[in-house]
Amino acid sequence: MTADRALAAIGEFLQRANKPHNELTDDLSLYGGGLELDSLETAELSAFLEDTLGSDPFTTVDELPETVGEVLAFYRSASTA
Amino acid sequence: MIRLLELAAAAAPDSIAVVTDERSLTWAELLGEARGVAGALADRQIARFAIVEHDAGIVMALLAGAALAGAEPCQFQPDTDAAELAAQLTQFDHRTVVSRRDDLGKVIRPTELVSDRPVQPSDTQPLLIRTTGTTGVPKGARHDWSVLARRVADAVPHPGQRWLLTYGLHQFAGIQMLLHTVSAQATLVAPFPRQPRDGAEALAKLGVTCVSATPTYWRFLLAAARSTGASLPDLEQITLGGEAVPSDLLTRLRETFPSAKISQVYASTEMGSVVSVTDGRPGIGVDKLQSDENPEGTLRVVDGELWVRGSAGMLGYVDGDDTGVDTDPQNAWRPTGDRVEIVGDRIEFRGRDSEVINVGGVKVHPLPVEEALLPVPGVIAVRVYGRANRLTGAIVAADVVLAPEADPDEVRDRMRDAVSALPRAAHPRSVTFVDELETLGGKTIRRSEG
Repeated sequence: MTADRALAAIGEFLQRANKPHNELTDDLSLYGGGLELDSLETAELSAFLEDTLGSDPFTTVDELPETVGEVLAFYRSASTA
Repeated sequence: MIRLLELAAAAAPDSIAVVTDERSLTWAELLGEARGVAGALADRQIARFAIVEHDAGIVMALLAGAALAGAEPCQFQPDTDAAELAAQLTQFDHRTVVSRRDDLGKVIRPTELVSDRPVQPSDTQPLLIRTTGTTGVPKGARHDWSVLARRVADAVPHPGQRWLLTYGLHQFAGIQMLLHTVSAQATLVAPFPRQPRDGAEALAKLGVTCVSATPTYWRFLLAAARSTGASLPDLEQITLGGEAVPSDLLTRLRETFPSAKISQVYASTEMGSVVSVTDGRPGIGVDKLQSDENPEGTLRVVDGELWVRGSAGMLGYVDGDDTGVDTDPQNAWRPTGDRVEIVGDRIEFRGRDSEVINVGGVKVHPLPVEEALLPVPGVIAVRVYGRANRLTGAIVAADVVLAPEADPDEVRDRMRDAVSALPRAAHPRSVTFVDELETLGGKTIRRSEG
Protein backbone atom coordinates (compact mmCIF):
# COMPACT_ATOMS: atom_id res chain seq x y z
CA MET A 1 0.00 0.00 0.00
CA THR A 2 2.73 2.46 1.02
CA ALA A 3 4.82 1.33 -1.95
CA ASP A 4 1.87 2.22 -4.19
CA ARG A 5 1.69 5.64 -2.59
CA ALA A 6 5.44 6.01 -3.03
CA LEU A 7 5.14 5.14 -6.72
CA ALA A 8 2.36 7.73 -7.10
CA ALA A 9 4.49 10.28 -5.23
CA ILE A 10 7.48 9.68 -7.53
CA GLY A 11 5.15 10.13 -10.52
CA GLU A 12 3.79 13.38 -9.10
CA PHE A 13 7.30 14.65 -8.36
CA LEU A 14 8.43 13.94 -11.93
CA GLN A 15 5.35 15.71 -13.27
CA ARG A 16 6.13 18.79 -11.17
CA ALA A 17 9.80 18.69 -12.16
CA ASN A 18 8.80 18.60 -15.85
CA LYS A 19 10.36 15.16 -16.20
CA PRO A 20 7.33 12.93 -16.74
CA HIS A 21 8.16 9.27 -17.32
CA ASN A 22 5.65 6.73 -18.55
CA GLU A 23 6.92 3.50 -17.07
CA LEU A 24 8.41 3.57 -13.61
CA THR A 25 9.83 0.08 -13.54
CA ASP A 26 11.74 -1.33 -10.56
CA ASP A 27 15.07 -1.43 -12.37
CA LEU A 28 14.82 2.11 -13.75
CA SER A 29 17.83 4.12 -12.56
CA LEU A 30 17.12 7.37 -10.73
CA TYR A 31 20.18 8.87 -12.34
CA GLY A 32 22.05 8.53 -15.67
CA GLY A 33 20.38 6.28 -18.22
CA GLY A 34 17.08 6.43 -16.30
CA LEU A 35 15.29 9.39 -14.77
CA GLU A 36 18.43 11.53 -15.16
CA LEU A 37 18.06 13.20 -11.76
CA ASP A 38 21.02 15.33 -10.75
CA SER A 39 22.01 15.94 -7.14
CA LEU A 40 19.71 18.94 -6.71
CA GLU A 41 16.74 17.09 -8.16
CA THR A 42 17.50 14.08 -6.00
CA ALA A 43 17.61 16.35 -2.96
CA GLU A 44 14.26 17.75 -4.03
CA LEU A 45 12.80 14.24 -4.43
CA SER A 46 14.10 13.38 -0.96
CA ALA A 47 12.33 16.41 0.57
CA PHE A 48 9.16 15.71 -1.43
CA LEU A 49 8.98 12.08 -0.29
CA GLU A 50 9.56 13.11 3.31
CA ASP A 51 6.76 15.70 3.12
CA THR A 52 4.36 13.34 1.34
CA LEU A 53 5.06 10.04 3.09
CA GLY A 54 6.63 11.08 6.40
CA SER A 55 10.06 9.55 5.73
CA ASP A 56 12.44 9.09 2.83
CA PRO A 57 15.13 6.56 1.99
CA PHE A 58 17.73 9.19 1.05
CA THR A 59 17.80 10.51 4.62
CA THR A 60 17.21 7.29 6.49
CA VAL A 61 19.29 4.47 5.04
CA ASP A 62 23.08 4.21 4.86
CA GLU A 63 23.26 3.33 1.20
CA LEU A 64 21.49 5.70 -1.12
CA PRO A 65 18.89 4.11 -3.39
CA GLU A 66 19.87 3.97 -7.03
CA THR A 67 16.72 2.67 -8.69
CA VAL A 68 12.98 3.23 -8.47
CA GLY A 69 12.71 -0.31 -7.07
CA GLU A 70 15.08 0.48 -4.20
CA VAL A 71 13.00 3.50 -3.23
CA LEU A 72 9.83 1.41 -3.28
CA ALA A 73 11.53 -1.37 -1.29
CA PHE A 74 12.26 1.13 1.49
CA TYR A 75 8.55 1.91 1.88
CA ARG A 76 7.60 -1.75 1.48
CA SER A 77 9.90 -2.74 4.33
CA ALA A 78 8.77 0.26 6.37
CA SER A 79 5.10 -0.79 6.06
CA THR A 80 5.84 -4.39 7.11
CA ALA A 81 8.21 -3.43 9.93
CA MET B 1 12.51 62.52 25.61
CA ILE B 2 11.28 64.69 28.49
CA ARG B 3 12.79 67.82 26.93
CA LEU B 4 11.05 67.10 23.61
CA LEU B 5 7.80 66.46 25.45
CA GLU B 6 8.12 69.78 27.31
CA LEU B 7 8.69 71.57 24.00
CA ALA B 8 5.62 69.95 22.44
CA ALA B 9 3.49 70.72 25.50
CA ALA B 10 4.60 74.35 25.41
CA ALA B 11 4.02 74.72 21.67
CA ALA B 12 0.70 72.91 21.38
CA PRO B 13 -0.65 71.98 24.82
CA ASP B 14 -4.12 71.03 23.61
CA SER B 15 -3.11 69.12 20.47
CA ILE B 16 -3.49 65.35 20.58
CA ALA B 17 -0.22 63.57 21.35
CA VAL B 18 -1.40 59.98 21.25
CA VAL B 19 -4.54 58.05 20.33
CA THR B 20 -5.04 54.48 21.58
CA ASP B 21 -8.03 52.15 21.91
CA GLU B 22 -8.41 53.33 25.48
CA ARG B 23 -8.07 57.09 25.26
CA SER B 24 -6.52 60.18 23.67
CA LEU B 25 -4.03 62.39 25.48
CA THR B 26 -3.02 65.96 24.74
CA TRP B 27 0.60 67.06 25.05
CA ALA B 28 -0.20 68.91 28.27
CA GLU B 29 -1.91 65.86 29.76
CA LEU B 30 0.93 63.59 28.75
CA LEU B 31 3.52 65.93 30.31
CA GLY B 32 1.44 66.07 33.51
CA GLU B 33 1.36 62.25 33.68
CA ALA B 34 5.10 62.02 32.99
CA ARG B 35 5.88 64.42 35.84
CA GLY B 36 3.65 62.37 38.13
CA VAL B 37 5.59 59.22 37.17
CA ALA B 38 8.94 60.97 37.75
CA GLY B 39 7.84 62.07 41.23
CA ALA B 40 6.68 58.56 42.12
CA LEU B 41 9.92 56.98 40.87
CA ALA B 42 11.85 59.43 43.05
CA ASP B 43 9.57 58.75 46.04
CA ARG B 44 10.14 55.03 45.70
CA GLN B 45 13.83 55.40 44.83
CA ILE B 46 13.41 53.27 41.74
CA ALA B 47 16.57 53.45 39.61
CA ARG B 48 15.61 50.86 36.99
CA PHE B 49 12.41 49.01 36.15
CA ALA B 50 10.68 46.82 33.62
CA ILE B 51 7.58 47.89 31.70
CA VAL B 52 5.07 45.27 30.53
CA GLU B 53 2.31 47.36 29.01
CA HIS B 54 0.68 47.59 25.59
CA ASP B 55 -1.06 50.98 25.78
CA ALA B 56 1.16 53.53 24.05
CA GLY B 57 -0.19 56.44 26.13
CA ILE B 58 0.76 54.76 29.39
CA VAL B 59 4.15 53.70 28.00
CA MET B 60 4.95 57.22 26.80
CA ALA B 61 4.20 58.67 30.24
CA LEU B 62 6.35 56.00 31.92
CA LEU B 63 9.27 56.54 29.54
CA ALA B 64 9.17 60.32 29.77
CA GLY B 65 8.78 60.20 33.56
CA ALA B 66 11.74 57.84 33.84
CA ALA B 67 13.84 60.17 31.65
CA LEU B 68 13.01 63.10 33.92
CA ALA B 69 13.92 61.13 37.04
CA GLY B 70 16.99 59.51 35.49
CA ALA B 71 15.64 55.98 36.04
CA GLU B 72 16.34 53.28 33.42
CA PRO B 73 13.22 51.70 31.94
CA CYS B 74 13.25 48.53 29.86
CA GLN B 75 10.20 47.35 27.98
CA PHE B 76 9.27 43.74 27.40
CA GLN B 77 6.84 42.54 24.75
CA PRO B 78 3.53 43.10 26.54
CA ASP B 79 1.75 39.90 25.48
CA THR B 80 4.60 37.53 26.37
CA ASP B 81 3.53 34.39 28.25
CA ALA B 82 4.07 34.79 32.03
CA ALA B 83 6.62 31.96 32.37
CA GLU B 84 8.68 33.20 29.42
CA LEU B 85 8.49 36.74 30.74
CA ALA B 86 9.74 35.62 34.16
CA ALA B 87 12.81 34.13 32.46
CA GLN B 88 13.42 37.32 30.46
CA LEU B 89 13.08 39.49 33.57
CA THR B 90 15.56 37.28 35.40
CA GLN B 91 18.01 37.54 32.49
CA PHE B 92 18.02 41.31 32.92
CA ASP B 93 17.79 41.15 36.72
CA HIS B 94 14.58 43.15 36.77
CA ARG B 95 12.73 42.96 40.08
CA THR B 96 10.59 46.06 39.75
CA VAL B 97 7.89 45.54 37.13
CA VAL B 98 5.30 48.11 36.09
CA SER B 99 2.30 46.44 34.50
CA ARG B 100 -1.49 46.14 34.51
CA ARG B 101 -1.33 42.36 34.07
CA ASP B 102 -2.67 40.19 36.89
CA ASP B 103 -0.61 37.10 36.13
CA LEU B 104 2.88 38.46 36.82
CA GLY B 105 2.98 38.24 40.61
CA LYS B 106 3.98 41.42 42.41
CA VAL B 107 3.85 44.40 40.07
CA ILE B 108 3.43 48.15 40.38
CA ARG B 109 0.37 49.35 38.50
CA PRO B 110 0.86 52.46 36.36
CA THR B 111 -1.90 54.18 38.35
CA GLU B 112 0.21 53.76 41.50
CA LEU B 113 3.06 55.76 39.96
CA VAL B 114 1.64 59.19 40.63
CA SER B 115 3.22 61.79 42.87
CA ASP B 116 3.25 65.56 42.91
CA ARG B 117 6.82 65.67 44.20
CA PRO B 118 8.80 68.03 41.92
CA VAL B 119 11.78 66.39 40.24
CA GLN B 120 14.90 68.14 38.97
CA PRO B 121 15.87 66.92 35.51
CA SER B 122 18.52 64.21 35.65
CA ASP B 123 21.85 64.56 33.83
CA THR B 124 21.60 61.03 32.51
CA GLN B 125 18.49 59.67 30.84
CA PRO B 126 19.17 55.95 30.43
CA LEU B 127 17.04 53.59 28.40
CA LEU B 128 17.55 49.86 27.92
CA ILE B 129 16.26 48.30 24.71
CA ARG B 130 16.23 44.55 24.14
CA THR B 131 17.32 43.64 20.62
CA THR B 132 14.82 41.55 18.65
CA GLY B 133 17.19 38.61 18.63
CA THR B 134 17.32 38.46 14.82
CA THR B 135 20.96 37.63 15.32
CA GLY B 136 20.55 35.25 18.27
CA VAL B 137 19.62 35.56 21.94
CA PRO B 138 18.16 39.02 22.72
CA LYS B 139 20.63 41.40 24.32
CA GLY B 140 20.04 44.59 26.21
CA ALA B 141 21.39 47.63 24.40
CA ARG B 142 22.04 50.58 26.71
CA HIS B 143 21.00 53.93 25.27
CA ASP B 144 20.60 57.48 26.51
CA TRP B 145 17.69 59.64 25.40
CA SER B 146 19.95 62.65 24.96
CA VAL B 147 22.04 60.74 22.40
CA LEU B 148 19.01 59.26 20.64
CA ALA B 149 17.37 62.67 20.45
CA ARG B 150 20.30 64.05 18.41
CA ARG B 151 18.84 62.36 15.37
CA VAL B 152 15.67 64.43 15.65
CA ALA B 153 17.31 67.65 16.81
CA ASP B 154 16.48 69.42 13.55
CA ALA B 155 12.96 68.01 13.19
CA VAL B 156 10.42 70.43 11.78
CA PRO B 157 7.06 70.52 13.59
CA HIS B 158 4.26 68.79 11.65
CA PRO B 159 1.37 69.00 14.09
CA GLY B 160 -1.13 67.86 11.45
CA GLN B 161 0.57 64.54 10.79
CA ARG B 162 -0.95 61.38 12.26
CA TRP B 163 1.56 58.52 12.39
CA LEU B 164 0.39 54.93 12.72
CA LEU B 165 2.47 52.96 15.23
CA THR B 166 3.17 49.59 13.63
CA TYR B 167 6.11 48.60 15.83
CA GLY B 168 6.01 47.67 19.48
CA LEU B 169 7.36 50.44 21.66
CA HIS B 170 9.66 47.78 23.18
CA GLN B 171 11.48 47.70 19.83
CA PHE B 172 14.12 50.18 18.78
CA ALA B 173 12.05 51.06 15.70
CA GLY B 174 9.10 51.85 17.98
CA ILE B 175 11.27 54.15 20.11
CA GLN B 176 12.46 55.92 16.96
CA MET B 177 8.85 56.37 15.88
CA LEU B 178 8.06 57.80 19.30
CA LEU B 179 10.96 60.26 19.17
CA HIS B 180 9.98 61.27 15.68
CA THR B 181 6.37 62.05 16.55
CA VAL B 182 7.23 63.88 19.77
CA SER B 183 9.88 66.02 18.05
CA ALA B 184 7.53 66.72 15.13
CA GLN B 185 4.68 67.39 17.61
CA ALA B 186 2.64 65.00 15.50
CA THR B 187 -0.03 62.58 16.72
CA LEU B 188 0.87 58.95 17.37
CA VAL B 189 -2.04 56.67 16.39
CA ALA B 190 -1.47 53.46 18.32
CA PRO B 191 -4.20 50.83 18.22
CA PHE B 192 -3.45 47.44 19.79
CA PRO B 193 -2.84 44.73 18.65
CA ARG B 194 -0.50 45.99 15.97
CA GLN B 195 -1.00 43.36 13.29
CA PRO B 196 -1.18 44.47 9.63
CA ARG B 197 -4.95 43.85 9.48
CA ASP B 198 -5.37 46.21 12.48
CA GLY B 199 -3.20 48.72 10.64
CA ALA B 200 -5.35 48.49 7.50
CA GLU B 201 -8.43 49.19 9.63
CA ALA B 202 -6.73 52.10 11.41
CA LEU B 203 -5.76 53.64 8.07
CA ALA B 204 -9.36 53.70 7.01
CA LYS B 205 -10.89 54.77 10.35
CA LEU B 206 -8.41 56.78 12.40
CA GLY B 207 -7.32 59.44 9.92
CA VAL B 208 -3.75 58.18 9.62
CA THR B 209 -1.61 60.27 7.25
CA CYS B 210 1.84 58.70 7.69
CA VAL B 211 3.03 55.13 8.27
CA SER B 212 6.41 53.63 9.12
CA ALA B 213 6.60 49.82 8.92
CA THR B 214 8.67 46.85 7.78
CA PRO B 215 8.25 45.60 4.19
CA THR B 216 6.69 42.40 5.59
CA TYR B 217 4.10 44.47 7.46
CA TRP B 218 3.31 46.53 4.36
CA ARG B 219 2.85 43.43 2.24
CA PHE B 220 0.31 41.98 4.67
CA LEU B 221 -1.42 45.33 5.18
CA LEU B 222 -2.00 45.60 1.42
CA ALA B 223 -3.19 41.98 1.28
CA ALA B 224 -5.54 42.50 4.26
CA ALA B 225 -7.04 45.59 2.63
CA ARG B 226 -7.52 43.70 -0.63
CA SER B 227 -9.19 40.69 0.99
CA THR B 228 -11.59 42.79 3.10
CA GLY B 229 -12.23 45.26 0.30
CA ALA B 230 -11.25 48.11 2.65
CA SER B 231 -10.47 51.30 0.78
CA LEU B 232 -7.16 52.81 1.79
CA PRO B 233 -6.79 56.60 2.00
CA ASP B 234 -3.87 58.23 0.23
CA LEU B 235 -0.95 58.92 2.55
CA GLU B 236 1.50 61.76 2.94
CA GLN B 237 4.56 59.77 4.05
CA ILE B 238 5.55 56.11 3.93
CA THR B 239 8.69 54.89 5.69
CA LEU B 240 10.12 51.40 5.27
CA GLY B 241 12.75 49.90 7.52
CA GLY B 242 14.06 46.83 9.27
CA GLU B 243 14.44 44.70 6.16
CA ALA B 244 15.59 45.04 2.58
CA VAL B 245 12.82 46.49 0.41
CA PRO B 246 11.80 44.37 -2.60
CA SER B 247 11.25 46.38 -5.79
CA ASP B 248 7.76 44.98 -6.44
CA LEU B 249 6.63 46.30 -3.05
CA LEU B 250 7.85 49.81 -3.90
CA THR B 251 5.81 49.61 -7.10
CA ARG B 252 2.67 48.45 -5.27
CA LEU B 253 3.02 51.18 -2.65
CA ARG B 254 3.41 53.84 -5.33
CA GLU B 255 0.28 52.56 -7.07
CA THR B 256 -1.78 52.39 -3.86
CA PHE B 257 -0.62 55.69 -2.36
CA PRO B 258 0.18 57.91 -5.35
CA SER B 259 0.83 61.09 -3.33
CA ALA B 260 3.02 59.54 -0.64
CA LYS B 261 6.67 60.35 -0.24
CA ILE B 262 8.45 57.03 0.25
CA SER B 263 11.61 56.71 2.39
CA GLN B 264 13.66 53.68 3.29
CA VAL B 265 15.58 53.78 6.55
CA TYR B 266 18.57 51.62 7.38
CA ALA B 267 18.95 51.35 11.16
CA SER B 268 19.74 48.91 13.93
CA THR B 269 19.21 48.78 17.68
CA GLU B 270 22.95 49.07 18.17
CA MET B 271 23.67 51.88 15.73
CA GLY B 272 20.55 54.00 15.54
CA SER B 273 19.46 55.36 12.15
CA VAL B 274 22.30 55.29 9.68
CA VAL B 275 20.94 56.05 6.24
CA SER B 276 17.69 57.22 4.74
CA VAL B 277 16.91 56.64 1.05
CA THR B 278 14.23 58.77 -0.57
CA ASP B 279 14.66 58.18 -4.29
CA GLY B 280 12.14 55.35 -4.38
CA ARG B 281 14.60 52.75 -5.68
CA PRO B 282 15.57 49.52 -3.89
CA GLY B 283 18.93 49.40 -2.13
CA ILE B 284 21.11 52.35 -1.14
CA GLY B 285 22.99 54.78 -3.44
CA VAL B 286 26.77 54.27 -3.48
CA ASP B 287 27.12 57.98 -2.66
CA LYS B 288 26.47 57.02 0.99
CA LEU B 289 29.71 55.03 1.12
CA GLN B 290 32.64 56.54 2.94
CA SER B 291 35.42 57.52 0.54
CA ASP B 292 38.08 60.17 0.05
CA GLU B 293 35.45 62.35 -1.62
CA ASN B 294 32.88 61.53 1.10
CA PRO B 295 34.75 61.22 4.41
CA GLU B 296 31.52 61.69 6.37
CA GLY B 297 29.91 58.63 4.75
CA THR B 298 28.34 56.21 7.23
CA LEU B 299 28.69 53.01 5.18
CA ARG B 300 31.51 50.73 4.06
CA VAL B 301 31.48 47.40 2.28
CA VAL B 302 34.05 44.98 3.70
CA ASP B 303 34.32 41.56 2.04
CA GLY B 304 30.74 41.75 0.84
CA GLU B 305 29.41 42.75 4.26
CA LEU B 306 27.93 46.14 5.08
CA TRP B 307 29.70 48.04 7.88
CA VAL B 308 28.10 51.10 9.42
CA ARG B 309 28.74 53.85 11.87
CA GLY B 310 25.92 55.82 13.44
CA SER B 311 25.73 59.18 15.11
CA ALA B 312 23.18 58.02 17.68
CA GLY B 313 24.59 54.64 18.59
CA MET B 314 24.18 52.78 21.82
CA LEU B 315 26.55 53.05 24.77
CA GLY B 316 27.16 49.32 25.17
CA TYR B 317 25.52 46.02 25.97
CA VAL B 318 24.01 45.37 29.36
CA ASP B 319 26.11 42.30 30.11
CA GLY B 320 29.27 44.33 29.82
CA ASP B 321 30.23 42.69 26.53
CA ASP B 322 31.23 45.89 24.82
CA THR B 323 33.62 44.24 22.39
CA GLY B 324 33.86 46.39 19.33
CA VAL B 325 31.67 49.12 20.77
CA ASP B 326 33.43 52.40 20.36
CA THR B 327 31.42 55.41 21.36
CA ASP B 328 33.59 57.76 19.34
CA PRO B 329 31.43 58.13 16.23
CA GLN B 330 34.51 58.67 14.07
CA ASN B 331 35.75 55.20 14.86
CA ALA B 332 32.58 53.35 15.70
CA TRP B 333 32.43 51.14 12.63
CA ARG B 334 30.54 47.92 13.14
CA PRO B 335 29.78 44.96 10.89
CA THR B 336 26.05 44.53 10.31
CA GLY B 337 25.84 40.91 9.19
CA ASP B 338 24.05 42.14 6.06
CA ARG B 339 25.48 40.71 2.83
CA VAL B 340 25.52 43.31 0.07
CA GLU B 341 26.71 43.68 -3.49
CA ILE B 342 27.46 46.86 -5.39
CA VAL B 343 25.54 46.82 -8.67
CA GLY B 344 26.02 49.97 -10.75
CA ASP B 345 25.29 52.93 -8.51
CA ARG B 346 23.45 50.92 -5.83
CA ILE B 347 24.32 48.88 -2.78
CA GLU B 348 21.91 45.94 -3.05
CA PHE B 349 21.01 43.65 -0.14
CA ARG B 350 21.50 39.92 -0.55
CA GLY B 351 20.45 38.67 2.89
CA ARG B 352 21.98 38.29 6.31
CA ASP B 353 25.14 36.33 7.08
CA SER B 354 23.14 33.93 9.19
CA GLU B 355 20.64 33.43 6.37
CA VAL B 356 23.04 32.30 3.67
CA ILE B 357 22.07 28.82 2.46
CA ASN B 358 24.89 26.47 1.52
CA VAL B 359 23.53 24.23 -1.22
CA GLY B 360 26.17 21.67 -2.05
CA GLY B 361 28.91 24.27 -1.61
CA VAL B 362 27.07 27.00 -3.50
CA LYS B 363 26.15 29.94 -1.31
CA VAL B 364 22.59 31.06 -1.94
CA HIS B 365 21.28 34.36 -0.59
CA PRO B 366 17.57 34.27 0.15
CA LEU B 367 16.64 37.83 -0.82
CA PRO B 368 17.20 37.57 -4.60
CA VAL B 369 15.11 34.38 -4.56
CA GLU B 370 12.32 36.20 -2.72
CA GLU B 371 12.67 39.11 -5.15
CA ALA B 372 12.08 36.70 -8.04
CA LEU B 373 9.07 35.04 -6.41
CA LEU B 374 7.23 38.03 -4.97
CA PRO B 375 5.91 39.42 -8.28
CA VAL B 376 4.34 36.03 -9.18
CA PRO B 377 0.55 36.47 -9.50
CA GLY B 378 -1.20 34.77 -6.58
CA VAL B 379 1.74 35.19 -4.19
CA ILE B 380 1.22 37.56 -1.26
CA ALA B 381 4.37 36.88 0.72
CA VAL B 382 7.38 34.56 0.63
CA ARG B 383 9.97 33.44 3.12
CA VAL B 384 13.03 31.73 1.66
CA TYR B 385 15.30 29.75 3.96
CA GLY B 386 17.56 26.71 4.09
CA ARG B 387 16.19 23.24 4.73
CA ALA B 388 18.66 20.58 5.84
CA ASN B 389 19.27 17.85 3.30
CA ARG B 390 21.58 14.86 3.48
CA LEU B 391 22.51 14.96 -0.19
CA THR B 392 23.41 18.62 -0.62
CA GLY B 393 23.74 19.86 2.97
CA ALA B 394 20.76 22.14 2.44
CA ILE B 395 18.18 22.94 -0.17
CA VAL B 396 16.36 26.20 -0.73
CA ALA B 397 12.91 26.08 0.83
CA ALA B 398 10.10 28.61 0.49
CA ASP B 399 7.05 29.25 2.60
CA VAL B 400 4.44 30.99 0.49
CA VAL B 401 1.28 32.85 1.50
CA LEU B 402 -1.24 32.58 -1.33
CA ALA B 403 -3.89 35.08 -2.33
CA PRO B 404 -7.33 33.66 -1.43
CA GLU B 405 -8.32 33.07 -5.06
CA ALA B 406 -5.02 31.56 -6.18
CA ASP B 407 -4.68 27.98 -7.45
CA PRO B 408 -1.68 26.35 -5.69
CA ASP B 409 -0.69 24.22 -8.71
CA GLU B 410 -0.74 27.20 -11.05
CA VAL B 411 1.29 29.28 -8.60
CA ARG B 412 3.79 26.44 -8.22
CA ASP B 413 4.31 26.35 -12.01
CA ARG B 414 4.65 30.13 -12.21
CA MET B 415 7.17 30.09 -9.34
CA ARG B 416 9.26 27.57 -11.24
CA ASP B 417 9.29 29.85 -14.28
CA ALA B 418 10.04 32.92 -12.15
CA VAL B 419 13.31 31.50 -10.78
CA SER B 420 14.51 30.02 -14.07
CA ALA B 421 17.05 32.82 -14.55
CA LEU B 422 18.65 32.18 -11.13
CA PRO B 423 21.44 29.62 -10.61
CA ARG B 424 19.96 26.13 -10.23
CA ALA B 425 21.14 25.84 -6.63
CA ALA B 426 18.90 28.83 -5.80
CA HIS B 427 15.70 27.23 -7.13
CA PRO B 428 13.32 26.41 -4.28
CA ARG B 429 13.23 22.63 -3.92
CA SER B 430 10.66 22.56 -1.15
CA VAL B 431 7.60 24.81 -1.34
CA THR B 432 5.03 24.96 1.44
CA PHE B 433 1.84 26.99 1.28
CA VAL B 434 1.20 28.56 4.66
CA ASP B 435 -1.40 30.86 6.25
CA GLU B 436 1.18 33.26 7.65
CA LEU B 437 4.94 33.75 7.76
CA GLU B 438 7.06 33.40 10.84
CA THR B 439 8.11 36.90 11.90
CA LEU B 440 10.09 38.44 14.73
CA GLY B 441 9.65 42.10 15.53
CA GLY B 442 7.77 42.54 12.24
CA LYS B 443 10.65 41.06 10.24
CA THR B 444 10.56 37.83 8.28
CA ILE B 445 12.71 35.09 9.85
CA ARG B 446 14.96 33.30 7.37
CA ARG B 447 17.22 31.29 9.66
CA SER B 448 17.93 27.85 8.20
CA GLU B 449 16.09 24.93 9.72
CA GLY B 450 17.79 21.72 10.69
